[in-house]
Amino acid sequence: MASRTAAKDIITLRGSAAIVSEFFGYAANSILYNRGVYPEESFAKVKKYGLPMLLTQDEGVKSFISNLTSQLSEWLEAGKLQRVVLVIMSKATGEVLERWNFSIETDGEVVEKGVSREKSDKEIMREIQAIMRQIASSITYLPCLDEPCIFDVLAYTDKDCAVPFTWIESDPKLIANPQMVKLHSFDTKIHKVDTLVSYKNDEWDEP
Amino acid sequence: MLQEQLRKEVDFSQEQLRKQIQSFSELELKFQNEMDLRKKAESSAAKAEEKASLLEEKLSTLSESIDREKSRLQNELFQKRSESKLSVSRISADLERMECRAKNAEKESVLLREQLEELKMRLDKCMQEKYDMEKPNKSPEAPSKDSDLLVKHLQEELRHYESEVREARKIKASHEDIQLLKEKLYEEKSRRERAELDLLKLSDLQLTLKKFEDELSTWKSLIKEIPGVSSADDILPKFAALQKEVVDSMMRVGEAQARVKEIQVALDTAMLDKQNAETETAMAKEKAESHKAEIKRLELMLGLITEERDCLKNVVKELKERSNLEGGTEVVSGTIVQELEASLAKKENYVRELESSLLEKRETSSRQHNEIKLLNERLTNEARRIKMLERESDRLRSEISLLESKLGHGDFSSANTKVLRMVNTLAVDNEAKQTIEALQTELQKTKEKLQAVEELKKQSSDAGAPVDSYVAGKIKQLKEQIATLEKREERYKSVFAEKISVFRRACCELFGYKIVMDDHQRPDGIPVTRFTLHSIYALSDDEKLQFEYESGNTNIVVNEYTSQPEISRQIDIFIRKMSSIPAFTANLTVESFNKRTLS
Repeated sequence: MASRTAAKDIITLRGSAAIVSEFFGYAANSILYNRGVYPEESFAKVKKYGLPMLLTQDEGVKSFISNLTSQLSEWLEAGKLQRVVLVIMSKATGEVLERWNFSIETDGEVVEKGVSREKSDKEIMREIQAIMRQIASSITYLPCLDEPCIFDVLAYTDKDCAVPFTWIESDPKLIANPQMVKLHSFDTKIHKVDTLVSYKNDEWDEP
Repeated sequence: MLQEQLRKEVDFSQEQLRKQIQSFSELELKFQNEMDLRKKAESSAAKAEEKASLLEEKLSTLSESIDREKSRLQNELFQKRSESKLSVSRISADLERMECRAKNAEKESVLLREQLEELKMRLDKCMQEKYDMEKPNKSPEAPSKDSDLLVKHLQEELRHYESEVREARKIKASHEDIQLLKEKLYEEKSRRERAELDLLKLSDLQLTLKKFEDELSTWKSLIKEIPGVSSADDILPKFAALQKEVVDSMMRVGEAQARVKEIQVALDTAMLDKQNAETETAMAKEKAESHKAEIKRLELMLGLITEERDCLKNVVKELKERSNLEGGTEVVSGTIVQELEASLAKKENYVRELESSLLEKRETSSRQHNEIKLLNERLTNEARRIKMLERESDRLRSEISLLESKLGHGDFSSANTKVLRMVNTLAVDNEAKQTIEALQTELQKTKEKLQAVEELKKQSSDAGAPVDSYVAGKIKQLKEQIATLEKREERYKSVFAEKISVFRRACCELFGYKIVMDDHQRPDGIPVTRFTLHSIYALSDDEKLQFEYESGNTNIVVNEYTSQPEISRQIDIFIRKMSSIPAFTANLTVESFNKRTLS
């Protein structure tokens, strides 16, 4: 996990990138589990962030997410990642139903000068735990996904960022006139991650 | 003497003067004449100049008219030329037509000549016959009548033939006319077709023109709708201005956020101030109340003291009266009275002191009241300010939420952001897995069925004989079918192989390269087709070009040969810069060929 210097509250760019990318991995797993994109039985329980978290056991999804986190970590270290979006789409029609939006603000000074910041691990974990709790509880208000779904991961990067070969340029896969719910955010003092879920307006409960 | 001499001298001088005057007047006249002449000359010069300018003007007008004439003439010449060209073409067409006609006429004349010759021959024959007939007729006179009849008959026939020939000529002429008319008809038809095509084109053009006009009008209306834009040229600056505005507004948003933060900080400090002020006022009020209580206490004390004083005064009075009554006890009572008076004075002093302290206390309490009032005013001011700030912060918060919602929606500026998608083949993999699973289950089922059938067969081996024979027949039939199909496949394969080898050889002959194609997979699992090209003029086997073909794109693969400076330079020029692989291979072929032939 995060590489830390001797003092416990010092956090480096590398450590921050590791924390954030690891968070994305767990968040993606949690979303895929809670939104029922993959069957319940393909997930196994582990303990993380002081919570029971679910991780996929499907080899394909596992390798996809591990590739994703390693790439995100690389971008985070370069300070080129602006946003990561997990898009849930209908398998049949390809219509975008949900967008899990993680906006990232990077401390430019840290990237340029390589200085470090101070924040305790415990506090960061507490903040992440709050987000994970919110993701788990989101099923109470998000519309039911009653059709087979697939997911995609989008990354908003700086314009000058080279495109890795497993990535392609894409449209932002927006939802027209969406409902939005802002979730908690966490801050490593180097990367600040704001979480927001936007989803297709369910006409059924419109007045 | 002297006088005479003087007179003489005077006369002489007078005479000389007269002469001088005369000559002067002559000279004056001359000068006048000269002046007149000069004036005349000047006027003539001016006239000449005027004339010259006039002439120049004329010249310019003339030159202009000449130019105009020239251009007109050139135009005319041009027109004449085109006309002449047209007329030449027309004349040549006429000539061709005439030639055709002449040829036809020649042909006809040849035909007619042939006919004529034939007729002549026939006539000769007839004459010969006639002659022959006449010859024997000379001796016997009797058949002369017959021969006359024959001659007449022949002459009639001849006339008949002549009329036929005339008719034939007429028919021929009419035939020619018909052909001419046909040609004309064809021409007209082609013209009509062309005209129809042109009409169709015209309608298409009109449609497109209308479309363009509509588009233009929509654009124009769009331009009109854009405020501050009068022509298409204004749009770009307008866009630039809008972009600038967007940037400005973004900056303003940033400023607003900063201000919100500042205001929040100010609000916090104001709240703190307010709390402090409130505690202060509470304390001041408490103080005031305590002061009031003290004042009351003091007033009470004062009342008590005044009462005491009055009592004492009464006592003193009583004592005085008693002293008046009891003179004997005067001395003793005098001292007591003095003591009492002294104590009274002390009391009075004490009372005064108390009164002064009371006054002081009152003053301080009034001062504190004022202070409290001031603090209260400040408090109300602060409260008002807080409300204002709260309102402002609400407004800014709503603005921020609007911007955040836009951002949350997924909007981004394409100027500094690009969106990438991780290639996700999970769904496809999943489907493939599912199909494989379905096929496996089906296979299992079929196996089970087969087993069951075999078991059944074992159980009823006798009863199954007709079934067996039927199955065997079916199998035989199917095998035969398979055999024929296999044969056909073999044939097809051989034909294809032959065709392919012919095609390859032809390609090699035509383009000078042997091409080997093979498919393979990249480490990431993406299939690629690789083409290896050997030039037929290559000096060694290492001289090979490798290309990777992937979904419509062909890229050269760097190898030992292509990384040679000369080849890599050519690759840079032809493939990288001009993006033409054929040009590169062709150039390489020519160079290899030259090397071969020179060596």
